[in-house]
Amino acid sequence: MGSDRLSNKVRRLRFDNGELTQQQLADKVGVTRQTIIAIESGRYSPSLPLAFKLARAFGASIEDVFQFEDEQT
Amino acid sequence: MTKLQKSAWFNLAGITVLGIIGVAAILYMAKTNTRGVEYVLICIFVPVLVSPGLYIYCRKKSIESRFDERERVIHSRSLMVAAFGLTIFLACVCMLPFFVLGGQNVIKVYYLPLIFFSALFIAQFVHSAAILVMCALEDDDG
Repeated sequence: MGSDRLSNKVRRLRFDNGELTQQQLADKVGVTRQTIIAIESGRYSPSLPLAFKLARAFGASIEDVFQFEDEQT
Repeated sequence: MTKLQKSAWFNLAGITVLGIIGVAAILYMAKTNTRGVEYVLICIFVPVLVSPGLYIYCRKKSIESRFDERERVIHSRSLMVAAFGLTIFLACVCMLPFFVLGGQNVIKVYYLPLIFFSALFIAQFVHSAAILVMCALEDDDG
């Protein structure tokens, strides 16, 4: 089994984009605040559509928000 | 508290009350051995038999429209936990009398609806409890 890991910069990007609250971001992308909390803490990996929504909410590309690290990188 | 958690608390409370009423009714009927219990059974069983279909239909629509993707994942995981809990429960409740009483012994008939109601209760209870536990585990730094 590999040790693939998806990290993200959602928390930092929230503060860089006018100090968005978790609730404001959640409303923007159509999820609950708890989902944003789970994504920020790395306990939940979002689906591809949600990842795109988050990236668009920050006006960034998906790879600016999410980083994939596997054994080979 | 999210809608999923509210729904789980509502289910937990509702199914507990219904479970207690159902089991109490069966035990009462068994104890008094009254005839004409068909009316009571119809009152209990018709809603029970009809409700799963309506429940699944309404629940499916509401899950898709009201809950977000993480909640849907929690919901489906909790369904698996409920199925596992139900299997364990049924294995215990059906196999224990066999081992304790032996293969040639008899059990009272009221044991069958009791298993049925208890199985419904256990499945719903474990499902709701699993949702609440999983939500709590993910929300602990919220």
